[in-house]
Amino acid sequence: MATMKTTRDVKGVGLAIPRPDGPEKVTGQVQYVADLKPRGLLHAKLFRSPHAHARVVSIDTTRARALPGVRAVLTAADIPELKRKAPTRAHAVLAIDRVVFVGQPIAAVAADELAIAEEALDLIEVRYEVLRAAVDPLESMKPGAPPVADAGTEADTSEALAHGSVAGVATEAKPSKAVNISQQAKLQRGDVAKGFAESDVVIEKTYRVPMVHQGYLEPHAVLAQWDTNGLLTLWVSTQGSFNTRSEVADVLELPENRIKVIPMECGGGFGGKIRALCEPITAILARATGRPVRYVMTRREELEAGNPAPQVIIRLKTGVKRDGTLMALEAESVIESGAFSGAVLTVSGVFLASLYLWPAFEVRGFEVLTHKPSIAAYRAPVAPHTIFALDSHMEQIARVLGVDPVEFRLRHLQREGSPMANNQPWLNNGGVEVLTRIAEHPFWKQRAEWKASGDARRLRGTGLALGGWLGGLQPTGATVRLNPDGSLSVLTGQVDIAGTNIALAQIAASAYGIDVDKVRITTGDTDVAPVTGLSAGSKTVYTVGVAVMEAAKDARNQTLEIAAKEMEASIHDLEIENERVVVRGLPDRGVTLAQIGKKGNLYMSKVPPVLGVSHPAFSQQAPAFAAELARIEVDPETGDVTLHGFVVVQDVGKAINPLGVEGQMQGGAVQSLGMALTEALTYDDAGRLTNPSLLDYRKLTAADLPNIETIIVEKPSPAGPFGARGVGEPPIVPAPAAIANAVHDATGVRLTELPLTPERIALAIAAQPAARRPAS
Amino acid sequence: MRRFQLALPRNIDECVKFLAERGPETKVIAGGTDLLPQMKNGLLKPAAVVDLSGVADLRTLRRQDGSGLRVGASVTAREIERDAYVRSAYPALAESGALVGSVQIRNLATVGGNLCNAAPSADMAPPLLALEAEAVVAGPRGRRRVSLSDFFTGVRRTVLAPDELLVELIVPALGPRSGGQYLRHTPRRELDIAVVGVASQITMSDGVCAKARIALAAVAPTPIRATAAEQALEGRPLTAEQIGRAATLAVEAARPISDQRGSADFRRHLVAVLTRRTLTTALERAAR
Repeated sequence: MATMKTTRDVKGVGLAIPRPDGPEKVTGQVQYVADLKPRGLLHAKLFRSPHAHARVVSIDTTRARALPGVRAVLTAADIPELKRKAPTRAHAVLAIDRVVFVGQPIAAVAADELAIAEEALDLIEVRYEVLRAAVDPLESMKPGAPPVADAGTEADTSEALAHGSVAGVATEAKPSKAVNISQQAKLQRGDVAKGFAESDVVIEKTYRVPMVHQGYLEPHAVLAQWDTNGLLTLWVSTQGSFNTRSEVADVLELPENRIKVIPMECGGGFGGKIRALCEPITAILARATGRPVRYVMTRREELEAGNPAPQVIIRLKTGVKRDGTLMALEAESVIESGAFSGAVLTVSGVFLASLYLWPAFEVRGFEVLTHKPSIAAYRAPVAPHTIFALDSHMEQIARVLGVDPVEFRLRHLQREGSPMANNQPWLNNGGVEVLTRIAEHPFWKQRAEWKASGDARRLRGTGLALGGWLGGLQPTGATVRLNPDGSLSVLTGQVDIAGTNIALAQIAASAYGIDVDKVRITTGDTDVAPVTGLSAGSKTVYTVGVAVMEAAKDARNQTLEIAAKEMEASIHDLEIENERVVVRGLPDRGVTLAQIGKKGNLYMSKVPPVLGVSHPAFSQQAPAFAAELARIEVDPETGDVTLHGFVVVQDVGKAINPLGVEGQMQGGAVQSLGMALTEALTYDDAGRLTNPSLLDYRKLTAADLPNIETIIVEKPSPAGPFGARGVGEPPIVPAPAAIANAVHDATGVRLTELPLTPERIALAIAAQPAARRPAS
Repeated sequence: MRRFQLALPRNIDECVKFLAERGPETKVIAGGTDLLPQMKNGLLKPAAVVDLSGVADLRTLRRQDGSGLRVGASVTAREIERDAYVRSAYPALAESGALVGSVQIRNLATVGGNLCNAAPSADMAPPLLALEAEAVVAGPRGRRRVSLSDFFTGVRRTVLAPDELLVELIVPALGPRSGGQYLRHTPRRELDIAVVGVASQITMSDGVCAKARIALAAVAPTPIRATAAEQALEGRPLTAEQIGRAATLAVEAARPISDQRGSADFRRHLVAVLTRRTLTTALERAAR
């Protein structure tokens, strides 16, 4: 699988190619959903709850309906499909009689102008009976906490299935009276009590990572239009058009083939645009008005009522022998899911107990509901959180034992074939390779010199961490056509969210035997494209790449068969070279691809058109690891952290497009540096978001970031196209731990709650015993 | 954003006239970098907006020989940041201009807007307070001058009546051996709001501090002066010990709250750190 036989080196796999869609994006030429303006367009706005938990006593929309320019004002009573027990957030289109998070939609308006729709919101009068809200997940777990879900709501594990991450984890029934624990899982092996009893060093810490927003530039946006036959078309910013179609069909009780989802340019998703969010209400408004309706969330709505990443609280206890032998690990992961179930619960436990080999472990996971917006995936869901806990812990153990922290990790790191916590064997991966490679970096080798070069005003330190992702799988499909001019057209339904289309074109080029500039990839809508999965789980190139490769090989074989007949040659003697099919060793004898393409498209022609097809399913994941290294400086008085250098080493199997791979490595690093240093959705005691703008929800800017050095390691995966592994998720995983380790190296302060804000760092340094405090 | 009436006056008189007619439901827009986000998020819903972009008189930044600087209310943060004279004579003010928002925002954001928005964290307020600037205000009854110390009356509140407009700031000339600095703390380097901002402005004479002005942002409902800290420095040499004492007194002047940008404890901690640092730099600059 790792190499494709082609007759010469075509411009394809391995070439660093800038994204062809780059220039039109940076010059503002690309059309997003918010740019679509069909005739008769109406603008939608949602009336959202100001309370985290309240009974809706009454809703009066009379004045809003009377406002000139308003075409519809809907409440739950106007939507026959609404069910009291909404199984997912998407089903809870509008609140019926209870709101469970600030920002939950209660009424919807469609109007001629956006300003009119906004004015109409002011005219809607809702009376509430405010109820006690469960805001902190640890409190929400306790018996007697105010219930979030309506009784009888089931745990939603579809996200975990979509990510195809972890099998074989036992789930448990929830304890009675703990009404807000929606999922539980437990992993266990060996005798933990005995392990701790025999340990020389026992460390226990609790790590906390707050809710963070995925931070895609383009907010959620939908345009909905019904035709006179009752067919619904949705133009959507989504990570998976077929998933959107299924969810909307389920909510609206429509056959799937009566919905067409057109995936528009997606201005970022990172897991936040997997699940349907505002598609159903937009479609319902369009149905109610008979007009096209567009809904675009504001940034404030995104932050207040999007679907952020969960808060994760991990209590981690480990025991080791003085000689460094691992003895026992005990952990409890609490994943705050907000108002609806849907967290990927098991990833945390599996990573905690599997990355390093513990003879005895007991890991429990809890998904807990709170009165906050429900959560969704965010680039390697819960993995950065888990590695923040685990790798911070490994570093502390190594320091207590006085051993080299890299050697300590390497000694205990999983190897291919060793058992994961769920008893599945670890698959082929490059964990050892990336960790070994990063330890060779000058930043790591010269960490003592860097530390010594600081002074009392500038404490300097270095930190590294290792993390990864197990890799996702989902069935997919692709077709490859040969055009009358000899070029190739590739069709998938896969949303290009990360530059994957150029990588897929490179795969098609190499598999077929033609230069990439002769290949064009189209992302089709759900009416025309082969069924495909989400652009998520680091699996677009890993899975769709296989479909494209197989379809291109199919097209190649068909091409050679046609040429063999034309040339009366054996197919085994034929090659594709310079856009011609030639007999090996006889370059003068040949037929051009254009000739074959033309014959497949000629009136009365007996030559079939070339149409390569592949629609595979998959069973083998490809774990992918990244190690990251930070060189930092801390101002001990203000707590300011300056990043002087940051390195990502990642095993990508095979870099199909090294430029795209490096972009993913840098982008993932940037997002996780934000998680590490500044990002948190913060809530008051009543469950209201206190930082609902990008001013106070602090994504890092270019001014905060150093050059991010990328080092690609290629350890081929057995099943990926040309040996590729998933690339998107691993680089977001290690940074928070690497930064925490670097801050500790610089200051002596070990912080266990993200983000590592200047305030947390400065106050922790100030609270240190004077002897350890740096002189000021 | 809600619909509103837009007025486009060509001079200060037209502007004041419109304000007098429409009064309290009207907002004035210069750069719009504070106003528009509030309007977009529904926090402000003015029925009318007066756009100052056509009022050229408000855009002048003039050096007055021997008598300081006049800064029109519509002068942008970027102009303050880049003006050679401001940079050399009033570095604290130039530093505050350079910290607002990002370059794009500074190209729009104005001095007048920063002050009239009256956020406790307004970056340009501390240096202008420390420089003892005066505000010139136009209204239907003519013009009046207000010391900037009296300009802010509360969170997002000023002495301006609904029919009044801030026209310009008059910054007095500084004596020889003067120096100043503005520092603020933010978690991010750009696009952020001061958790604490401190401006220190001193004039030295015969080795002792003849005059000290210290102003703090984001530690009280309005930007404030730390007068006890100022008085403790005047008439004394600025030793590290004296500066440390002033920093402690500045902390006592602060009345911070805890919010999403920082706890009261951290703000007090920062007031001490930044007062000490700005005074130290001000002393270095005064020696040049």
